[in-house]
Amino acid sequence: MYIISNAIKNLFRNKGRNILIAAVTLAIIISAVVTLTINNASSVIIDEARLDIASRVDISIDLFTHGRDGRQTITVEQYVSFADSAYLRHTVFQAEMQAWFGNFFAVGDFEMGLTPPPDPNMPHSPVGKLTGHSEPSHISGFGTYRHFVEGRMFESINEAIITEELANLNSLQLGDIIHIESAFQHGKHFELEIVGIFSHEVDEVEAFQSIVWEMMGFSLPSMISQNEIFTSFETLMSVGWETADGLDMRLEYYLRNPNDLVRFEAEVRAKGLPDVFGVTINQAALDRVTGPLEGMRSAAMTFTIVILILGAIVLVLVSYLAIRERKYEVGVLRAMGMERGKIACGIFSEAIMITALCLIIGLGAGSAIAQPMADRLLAGEVETQAEAVMGAEEGGRVLMSGGQVQTDDPASGYRPISDIEVAIGMDVIIQIIFIALALAAVSSVIGIIRITQYEPLKILRERA
Amino acid sequence: MKCLEIADVTYRYDGSTEAVLKGVSAVFEKGKVYTIIGQSGAGKSTLLSLISGLDTCKEGEVYYNGKKLRNLDRDEYRSKSIGVIFQGYNLLLNSTAVYNITLSMNISESDIKDKKAQKEIAYALLEKVGIDRETADRKILQLSGGEQQRVGIARALSHDPDVIIADEPTGNLDEATEASVLEILTRLAHEENKCVIIVTHSENVTAIADEVIGIRAGKLLIGEKV
Ligand SMILES: Nc1ncnc2c1ncn2[C@@H]1O[C@H](COP(=O)(O)OP(=O)(O)O)[C@@H](O)[C@H]1O
Ligand SMILES: [Mg+2]
Repeated sequence: MYIISNAIKNLFRNKGRNILIAAVTLAIIISAVVTLTINNASSVIIDEARLDIASRVDISIDLFTHGRDGRQTITVEQYVSFADSAYLRHTVFQAEMQAWFGNFFAVGDFEMGLTPPPDPNMPHSPVGKLTGHSEPSHISGFGTYRHFVEGRMFESINEAIITEELANLNSLQLGDIIHIESAFQHGKHFELEIVGIFSHEVDEVEAFQSIVWEMMGFSLPSMISQNEIFTSFETLMSVGWETADGLDMRLEYYLRNPNDLVRFEAEVRAKGLPDVFGVTINQAALDRVTGPLEGMRSAAMTFTIVILILGAIVLVLVSYLAIRERKYEVGVLRAMGMERGKIACGIFSEAIMITALCLIIGLGAGSAIAQPMADRLLAGEVETQAEAVMGAEEGGRVLMSGGQVQTDDPASGYRPISDIEVAIGMDVIIQIIFIALALAAVSSVIGIIRITQYEPLKILRERA
Repeated sequence: MKCLEIADVTYRYDGSTEAVLKGVSAVFEKGKVYTIIGQSGAGKSTLLSLISGLDTCKEGEVYYNGKKLRNLDRDEYRSKSIGVIFQGYNLLLNSTAVYNITLSMNISESDIKDKKAQKEIAYALLEKVGIDRETADRKILQLSGGEQQRVGIARALSHDPDVIIADEPTGNLDEATEASVLEILTRLAHEENKCVIIVTHSENVTAIADEVIGIRAGKLLIGEKV
């Protein structure tokens, strides 16, 4: 069709103008490709992180807001009943019991060998912890700072695993039975078979702490992680708990959809959860993990919006000038009897051809630079965040009443996502094609509408 | 044979009080050469733009083959039935002479679709008005006024129209070329039965006319030299 071949010729006849239009279009397409690619890849990762972190709900008293005075308890059954919810896909049951050891000694117990207090109705001072887990794989540190020296993970009821130090101190072996009692509720009594012995690397904070205690002559064996014994949640619950005294319930409720938090909270409140208990997700951790990604996403977005606005202004300006420039040409064609529609079609074809060319180059170039661009942006964001976190952590260390050093940063231990793999997908290509069409429209339609409305004679007379 | 007719046409430009044409009528036949003469500003170009369908009158009618021009598809009329040689040439300045011709052939939906054949016809047409191939391949911007005028003439003939309208077509031509152009135009009328209407100041042109129409004070003076 001659209209198309005329359009192609026109592209070369007006090189200067078309190169300008192409450059602007290319800049817009490349930055849109990069942003959309980065955006989509980050969205997927952020959603995954949200599902991972923000779907985990904790139900606990917020001690910072309510203090110990406002302390109320809910029963163990209540904790367990919250798990029965359509909003949850999964619940991890965990509880920690302040323990007194019956037939063996705790690590760091300097009053070692002292018999329990004569009055059996008085609480013992705890010397360790018995932790019950419904999911052994959720016990932190296995595979990193905790390693099995002997034996295996607990499986059946009344099986337990203990630390190497505890085993060595008491010459305990696999198959031995240990006696453990609740330090706060007499009669809650366990006889557990040792099925595994594991080593435990002490972290800096804890190592420093034990040196301090030793120097001060403190004895707080229950705070020492070597005295933590793990068993199943089922075992821990098997003695029957009327109250949660001396028990620290740490259930992790996992939402199917992180957006259901409010509905889930309403449900557990209806089941009798008092107001002093918070129903919360670890927002700080989510922010820590996804912060740099979000930062990168908004940086890329801002950049693209700027390019889009500037680009649109330039395109409109250029096309305004093009209208003036092409008015005579259109007048001649109209005088020769070419229909408005065909002229418009020709001008639009020119814009489409320029845009199509930019689209091909832009998709190629954009997808080539998206990854290095994402890497650089993300590295910058991670660095910025790391500085901020370091500042916050310094002020966030608190010395607990027991002489224990803790951090009040709930995001502690969470690392930001620091690498991302971006690849251009079909969705991005389709989005870009729409953007490109819009650009072609911007750079031609306004002009076409104006230009074809003129009467040819008027245009020709104006020039004469 | 009656080909074009203007009947009782009055034309006034928007915003001006005085009408340029005041109730004028005329008939143009095939096979004849007409010249329109009159002083500058008399309304010759205005009359041509009404005939060529570039403009329409509010009072009176222009008929083409007995049909009211205002009811016809005037794009088609301009591209197929009529060839206009404009006073200001109105060529595509960034295109070559030959491209101006082939584009016109395409717009008129010429039967010849083959690009090479189109080009050959265009070269031949240009040759007839004194433009050689080398000149034909140059852009209009690189041609002199006289050369541009000849390209304009070739373009008007490119789609083999029934009516050929020319606004001062020989104004920029030397005597020899003027003679050859006039010869082409007369031959088109007399041998190919076209209706040729030429606005002119030139005595040489009025000399070859079958009929002369004068314009003065908004009136047509048929058969009179003004
Ligand atoms: N677009 C226009 N608007 C108003 N008046 C015009 C316009 N074009 C031409 N005229 C006037 O109409 C008259 C006839 O013009 P025109 O037909 O171009 O004269 P000619 O071709 O005989 O020299 C002149 O007086 C001219 O000034
Ligand atoms: Mg004139």
